[in-house]
Amino acid sequence: MTVQQPHPTARPVKPTSKLRTTLWLLVSLVVVAAFWSVDIKWSALADFPAQLIKYVGLMLFPPDWSKFGEAFMATILSVQMAWIGTVLGIIISFPLSFLASKGLAPRAVNAPLRFIFAVIRAVPEVVIAILILSVTGLTPFTGALALAVGSIGTLGKWGYEAFEGVDPGPKEAVRSTGGGTLALIRWGVWPSAAPEVLSFWLYRFEINVRASAILGLIGAGGIGKMLQDNVQFRNWDAVGMLLIVVVVVTMVIDQISGAVRNKLIHGTWRAPRLAS
Amino acid sequence: MSTSVTSSPQPQPKTQRPTKPRHGAKSLAAVVLLVAITIWAGIGVQVDLPAIAANWRNATTNIIQLLQPDYGFFPKTIPALLETLQMAVIATVIGSALSLPLAFLASRATNPRPKLLAGVRFVMNMIRSVPDILFASILVAVVGVGALSGIMALVLFNVGIIVKLVSESLDGEDAGAQEAALAAGASWPKANRAAMLPQILPSFASQVLYTFELNIRASTVIGLVGAGGLGILIDNVRSFFRYHELSLIILEILVLVLVLESLSAWLRKKLV
Repeated sequence: MTVQQPHPTARPVKPTSKLRTTLWLLVSLVVVAAFWSVDIKWSALADFPAQLIKYVGLMLFPPDWSKFGEAFMATILSVQMAWIGTVLGIIISFPLSFLASKGLAPRAVNAPLRFIFAVIRAVPEVVIAILILSVTGLTPFTGALALAVGSIGTLGKWGYEAFEGVDPGPKEAVRSTGGGTLALIRWGVWPSAAPEVLSFWLYRFEINVRASAILGLIGAGGIGKMLQDNVQFRNWDAVGMLLIVVVVVTMVIDQISGAVRNKLIHGTWRAPRLAS
Repeated sequence: MSTSVTSSPQPQPKTQRPTKPRHGAKSLAAVVLLVAITIWAGIGVQVDLPAIAANWRNATTNIIQLLQPDYGFFPKTIPALLETLQMAVIATVIGSALSLPLAFLASRATNPRPKLLAGVRFVMNMIRSVPDILFASILVAVVGVGALSGIMALVLFNVGIIVKLVSESLDGEDAGAQEAALAAGASWPKANRAAMLPQILPSFASQVLYTFELNIRASTVIGLVGAGGLGILIDNVRSFFRYHELSLIILEILVLVLVLESLSAWLRKKLV
């Protein structure tokens, strides 16, 4: 790197780094290689817009509301799966994330737990579900179990990050008055971390609502299964109705959970308008 | 302090501990509500622990098979593995290219037309609330089995995420330079291009890398509905109960995701 001498009129030269240039070249090379090597008939894209209009027309103009009752019940089942998965995930991950926090448990306990969280996070929920389903068979409950296992990875990580990130003042105060680890957790860590952790739980519930629809596709029941069946039999108008149901339910749940999150963090149901 | 406590009543409240606000009744109601929802949901999904325990005994053979990956199967998975990578890379590139202009349309700071803004945001919200595999399962039916439908599903999924994150960071950027450009007579696109784009490029780049990580994970599974990549393979070995091979594929996904995530984290550090 060259040190630029400040000069009143000349514009400073942008610093260049060989490493950055090489990396950009490598990234571009990978991209070009991917486009060049992939086995796709790009010509199929030419009539895609026409196809898209045709299928959107088949699905949404008009959607078939005759199976709405069934779809509604299936959606409820999906949401229930997501809820049970989230609750189980919270129950398991909550103590574990304390054990994974540095300073609250010995290093020898931290490291393996963090590794387990990382491994769980690396595996997509559907794969976890396939693993669990191959052991226990296909029911909505095993779908919920898969979501619970998936939740442990993220909730565990967010948990220990939140617990480690709390203001050290209260922790020191508890220590200085002779409090043990449990007192430390209860009075030094939990009060400051609680809003953040609770909002992570809500966020994970939102993720699980989406994931539960996916689990249906591999046979765990709920709205995903109904969608897959209708796609396979090309009942496009029913598929359109199901898509509307999925979108509306997901949006409504996101709104509710967003309101609850605001209540937990800011104390009001609606988000305060931030200046930043 | 020299003044006696009795002479001035003012300091008295300061030493008193503030009473804790009571919301015991509200908390109790919340707990009751949560427990009620949990019980209702539990009945809905038929929580049945004895059945699991019974199944568990039958399933030990499956577990033993899963614990012994069949490494000889590896050469057969290479094409699918490559296809997964290709899908993730291509979808990230196309998705991020489409998202950049859309992000500008979806931010209050860069789009002066409220109707267009509301329209773009509504469509983006809808796209985001459909899971990627649902897109894939529909696109497989529309454009056919293979990598193309997978890429398109991932592109939609990416556009939803990147537009949201980048438009939010646009909302938070300093609009001073943009205002100056507008005052000097630039059109909105020009002002955005000159004043806003350079500000968000670093955050855009790191969102793109983040999306790439999501894509790797997603591209391994969207094949389950026929959209190309390792997922198709998973579906094949799963329906024939070949658990030795299934566990090898899952191991591959694990290694792929962990390796590429650390690579992308490193790239983010170097490039952004």
